[in-house]
Amino acid sequence: MPVRIREGIVKTDFLIAGGGISGLQAAYTAAQKGIKVVVAEKADTRRSGCGANGNDHFACYIPECHGDDFELVVRQMNQTIDGGPWQDPTMLRLWLSRTYEVVQLWESLGINMRPTGKWNFEGHSMPGNQKYHLKFDGHNQKPALTAAAKKNGAVIMNKTLLTDVLVNSEGRVIGAIGVDISEDEPEMVIFQAKAVLIAAGSATRLYPGITPAYMFNDSGCPANTGDGHAMAYRAGARLANLEMAGGHAGPRYFARGGKGTWIGLTSDINGQCITPYQDKPSRENGDIASDIWPGSYRDRMQAGTGPTYMNCTRTSDADLDYMLHDGFVSEGIDSITDNLEQNNIDLRKSMIEFGSYNIGLSTQGIDIDVHAMSSVPGLYAAGNVVGNVKGNLAGAAVMGMVAAESAAEYVKTVADEDVSDHPLIRERQELYSAIMDRNEGAYWKEAASTLQNIMNDYCGLNIRSEAMLTAGLTYLRQLKKSAYDQLYAENSHEFMRVLEVLDLMDVGEPMFLMALNRKETRPPHKRADYTYTNMLLNDKFQTIEKHGDQVTLDFRKRF
Amino acid sequence: MPPIIDKQKCNQCGYCAQICPLDVIKVIKNDDKKAVIVKYPDECWHCRACEKDCRQHAIRMRYPLSHLMLHMDVQKEG
Repeated sequence: MPVRIREGIVKTDFLIAGGGISGLQAAYTAAQKGIKVVVAEKADTRRSGCGANGNDHFACYIPECHGDDFELVVRQMNQTIDGGPWQDPTMLRLWLSRTYEVVQLWESLGINMRPTGKWNFEGHSMPGNQKYHLKFDGHNQKPALTAAAKKNGAVIMNKTLLTDVLVNSEGRVIGAIGVDISEDEPEMVIFQAKAVLIAAGSATRLYPGITPAYMFNDSGCPANTGDGHAMAYRAGARLANLEMAGGHAGPRYFARGGKGTWIGLTSDINGQCITPYQDKPSRENGDIASDIWPGSYRDRMQAGTGPTYMNCTRTSDADLDYMLHDGFVSEGIDSITDNLEQNNIDLRKSMIEFGSYNIGLSTQGIDIDVHAMSSVPGLYAAGNVVGNVKGNLAGAAVMGMVAAESAAEYVKTVADEDVSDHPLIRERQELYSAIMDRNEGAYWKEAASTLQNIMNDYCGLNIRSEAMLTAGLTYLRQLKKSAYDQLYAENSHEFMRVLEVLDLMDVGEPMFLMALNRKETRPPHKRADYTYTNMLLNDKFQTIEKHGDQVTLDFRKRF
Repeated sequence: MPPIIDKQKCNQCGYCAQICPLDVIKVIKNDDKKAVIVKYPDECWHCRACEKDCRQHAIRMRYPLSHLMLHMDVQKEG
């Protein structure tokens, strides 16, 4: 039986794939600009994505606190987790210059941006520099942004994942294909839209996690599976920097984000601090060591000098209470507090071992311009799916706003185009029906596990070479063919997992191609056959795009 | 099995199933009876969204041994 297509095409001006921070911010702004906007979210926007349960740091520039020297702010922000070489300097200036606007907006929407009553900046900053990370209470950010977007007139379709962008013969966006997974049987939903924003987040589960048998144990939201990267790549959009992805760090076998919320010292097994940044735990500075070198926990284990701990035994009782019961709640990682309490672990006596997590493709992906538009006309991107913007939460929120503002102007310049006979709709219906029709075959976890092994063994963080990458790419393509021929699903939940694996393969492939084409060593990309760093590639981003079977790789200058 | 739903307290409203970011909780309907079950426990993120949002306070999180919080006692310096 073919997978059903819902009667009636959903028509809108602006369609948003993913209702995380950037998607909801974009929905709010676009609706306020008076254009019709629909958010398609595979979970529920009130609790989805990496910000599902909260955030506690918002990188921002507030002139009354930081002064008028914007260039100083840019220089110092570049030394934090929200800066660095893998971001176009123009984009850093763009999002940073508009952070205060978003902070004020969020405050007006009921998100507590000043829990202490004043603008309070803590953590994530280099000692000696000004502090830019506004310590706020984001535990209700998702419900608050959802309510605000809906109040403005945005339509939110939960349990509906977008699977493909529809482009016309000129390569312009005209709609998208989605799948509603709310019932046992999946149902395809066809969208007609003048502009589409991909706000689908990172690509977790591409690499083995810290507990490979439990692949949803991840610091990022495990529902973020590169769907946006894959959709954009298939639609012909240019991606950037995939091969330069690294990983996060946190408690070794209980993967959580929010390492910057811990108040402690990075220590060895004897409790001795091993980093040069501070000798006393303080809530003002936090521990910036893991921001600067999140791979240190892996490196120290491999060198035989580990394990490495987050040591809070010298943190004051007041700061510990603040961390466990305020900070972790605001950041949405209070499952750490719950886990510690259930297991009677007292941080005044015990250190927690930290580990380096695997590649998650957070801020490696779609290459966008200052209007947040990708190389495909009408296709926008914001948030962790973007490859040339960092800024994490703040970058996601501001670029969501920028995308909506740009799209509100863009949609006035293009006409609606009927998508009902688009050939990709029938093609996808055939594929989806084959997956649902099989009575036996490969379960999605089989393909997911092999994909993770191939990515880790042949395109991992340890070492890469032409032979390894060539072999890995060959195996990935073999797996992909088998997966298309054999994967099956018994219900819409499993069907969603199948689509996620197929998308992850579509992210892995360009990653291999980019790793092959970067013939140099530049951490975290290490080539056994090209051990030097090629200085000619400084200040350049590698990009990839695919049109039909033609793949184009390039090194473009940072702008 | 994370999370654990207290059947005595649960009123089968299904809100947890609706908001779970990983779609691991399902409302099962048999004739006119409903039950809320954790259908895909291995896919739980342990984010506590279900626990926090349950108006009946019927859900608690259990952390599996696979997610052990590795810790080491340290001798405090004088």
